[in-house]
This record gives sequence, C-alpha cells and structure tokens, in this order.
Amino acid sequence: MTALNDEVRVIEAGNAPARFARGWHCLGLADSFKDGKPHEIEAFGTKLVVFQGEDDGQLHILNAYCPHMGGNLAHGTVKGDAVACPFHDWRWSGDGRCAGIPYARRVPPRARTRAWTTLERNRQLFVWHDPEGNPPPAEVTIPEIEGVHGPDAGEWSAWTWKTARVDGSNCREIVDNVVDMAHFFYVHYAFPTYFKNVFDGHVATQYMESAPRGDMDLGNLSSPLRSDASYYGPSYMIDYVWTEVAPGVEMEMVLINSHYPISADSFMLQYGAIVKKLPGMTDEAAAEAARSLIGGLETGFEQDIEIWRNKTRIDNPLLTEEDGPVYQLRRWYEQFYVDVTDVKDEMTRRFEFEIDTRRANEAWHAEVEENLARRAAAPETGA
Amino acid sequence: MRPVECATCGNQVLCEKFSRAHTSVQWTAEAAVVCAEFRDRVSEGATTARIRTCRALRSSIERAVDDGTLEAADA
Repeated sequence: MTALNDEVRVIEAGNAPARFARGWHCLGLADSFKDGKPHEIEAFGTKLVVFQGEDDGQLHILNAYCPHMGGNLAHGTVKGDAVACPFHDWRWSGDGRCAGIPYARRVPPRARTRAWTTLERNRQLFVWHDPEGNPPPAEVTIPEIEGVHGPDAGEWSAWTWKTARVDGSNCREIVDNVVDMAHFFYVHYAFPTYFKNVFDGHVATQYMESAPRGDMDLGNLSSPLRSDASYYGPSYMIDYVWTEVAPGVEMEMVLINSHYPISADSFMLQYGAIVKKLPGMTDEAAAEAARSLIGGLETGFEQDIEIWRNKTRIDNPLLTEEDGPVYQLRRWYEQFYVDVTDVKDEMTRRFEFEIDTRRANEAWHAEVEENLARRAAAPETGA
Repeated sequence: MRPVECATCGNQVLCEKFSRAHTSVQWTAEAAVVCAEFRDRVSEGATTARIRTCRALRSSIERAVDDGTLEAADA
C-alpha cells in the first residue's frame, strides 16, 4: 500500500495565510463612490464604508461598524463631511473622529473609529492595508498611467470596468498567473511567443508577445499583441498593450487587473480597460473599443475563475522547463505577508526569467492546425 | 545556478540556462547600485524594476555560453 505512495507526487495544499497583504488595493472606479451614498466594501476579513464628504468632496474610508452599538454605517447616510449611522445617528468624520451625537449632551472622549488611508489615482480609489498599522511609504505608491490625468487626458477613452467575486480561492491563485506562460494558451486562447518575468523590489513584471489562436474567437483581441504588465505591490497590475488594428495602425490600450481579499478564501477581482484614441476617433468609438476589448478579456477571466473554483491550493507545484518561475514569484509575493522588518533580500532582489517558448509553440500550432482541419472536415452544423 | 560576471562593470549574478533561449538570472546585490547601465538609467529617473534587461550583462551571459563557462542544454 505504501510502496506505491512513495513514488507518487503528493500535493501539499498548505494553508492560506492568516493575514492579508500589506499594500495599496484598488476598490474600483472613484466615480462609482461619488453618488452621495455610503458604500459597503467587504475586504480584509471585515467591512468598510466608503463615502464622499459633501463639503470636502473627498472619498473617505472607515470601518463599517459603528463603535457605539455596531450599526453598519454603509447602510446609513452622508451628512456633511460625516457618515451617519442608521441605528442612532452617530456621525463619523473621514478622519475617524466622532463628529457629533445629536441626542447626547457630550461625545465620549475616546469616540474614534478606524479611518483607512485612501488614494485616488488613474480615476480609481485605493485603500492602504497594513497589519502593522504603518502609513504607506512613498516608494510603493501606485504609479500614474501616463497621460491619464494631465492635459492629454482627452486622448484616452473612459474606463470600462468589471467586477467578479471569487469564492473558494485565496487570491494567490490570480497572482500565480503572472508567471504562468502555458495557461495563456489553454485559458486565454493565445500563443505566448515571447515571455519574460522580472521581479525587483515590490514590482513583478511580465513581458509577453502573443498571437491569437486561430481556432478561437476573442473579438477585439484577435490580433498579435505586445503586453508589458507590472504588479505594483500585491494586487494592482497595470498592463500596457499594443496591438495592430489595421495594417500599420497600432492601438495602445491599458488594462488593469486588480483584486482585494475578502477573506482567506475569497477575493474580489476587478479589471478594466482604456484605449488611446486613434486619430479621428470619437469618444464613443473609443469607449466602444474599450468595451469590446473587455469582452475578449472577460472570456479569459471567466475561464480563470472556473479553474480556481475547482482546483486545489498547491504549495509544491510540479514544473517543467516551459513553466514560469512559480517558486520565485511566491518568494517575491511573501514580502507582503511578513512584517516590514522580516522582509528578506531574497524576496525583493532582482530576478529575471525568460522562457524558451519554441517547443510549446510548435506543439500548440500543431494542435490548432488539427482543430481547424477537423472543423473543416466536419459536416456543417448550421451553428 | 552558475556565477557570471558582467564584463562591463564586474557585477556578479547567478545564471542558469535550460537552453539557448531560456535564461534565468538571480541578482545578488541591489540592482540600482551594482550595475553601471542601471545606475545611469536610474539617475535619469527610471526604476530598475521596469527595465527589461541590462544589455551589457546579457552580452556577458551570451559570451559565457559561447566559451563554455555557462552550460546551455542545446548550445
């Protein structure tokens, strides 16, 4: 009985980390929180309330539960620059101080709730999470997408934005994708012809050139593309993509791939796209291009989610030379799950890995040719 | 992984090649400090994390494969 078990590879599923990553996490498009109402966000094992002050115009984030009797502020109302609890109308300012209790003679001296540090950038809202409670260091801030704010902002389309809740998986699953060359063929229907990763400091990058699979239709993603994608910290990836939309006409797009943890085994996936307007392109045509691009991405993400929903966590993946550097990526990712003083050089030191994609592409091209030949030989289905 | 020294600045990295096209490079010190090419780029405002490769180091790795000090399975 044990003789056989000695020879088979045994999966070590391990346990999801007991804490949530230190870093900036994107919560969505900033405008979506600016409707005068408080918004509930389930994240980091708790609930948060996001609201915009009526006078200061700023977005604020507080613990959702009122320290008085536990009412949920996200179900309350915005009053001035404070959010009012639906239970007893206690008012909480964006800085976490109690701004007033209409029925009480005095506000208790220690009436303070947790205010979370926020950042608005790239027309998105971010929250800083750190289990140690330190403020965000300037060097890990979210970079601005070039031209998205300044005088050239009009060159970009509006954001198309999508949200998908993933239950039953730790968010490490989506981060693993950054090195997973082969899944781009099977799950995202592309031939990755060039694939290189660089991990350096708090940034993990994936350089990829890919061609679409001839046997699959992904709409706007059906041309060869170059992609230059970096995670800035544990959860926010900016992906610059260039693709030829007509002979000699290259379109530049920016995709965002981000998530925030809800619990140890669930997370909120968010992704979005903008495209740079081509000469003569109207706002509406650019927005439509971004929407159509998202359509192609959506298929890929839905298939990612289907994989995650059904797979096991695995701490000891069994790899080939054509697989990316999963172990080194996880070593990089670990820096966000330990105290700052425990971040080791090996987690942040530069590491580069360029895959030889030749063997894989030969096999995949043969497979696609076979699929196309079989389809051509099959009688018309009328579909 | 085998040590490879950059002929331009003397920066030493650890390198492994499964084939001519594959390259794995583990830097052993702060990239912005030890690499001359990166130092220049960083002084111009770049961050090393967003630089794809150091050309001088890449040439040194190629040379190490050519002269046999670094083994690549198909070289």
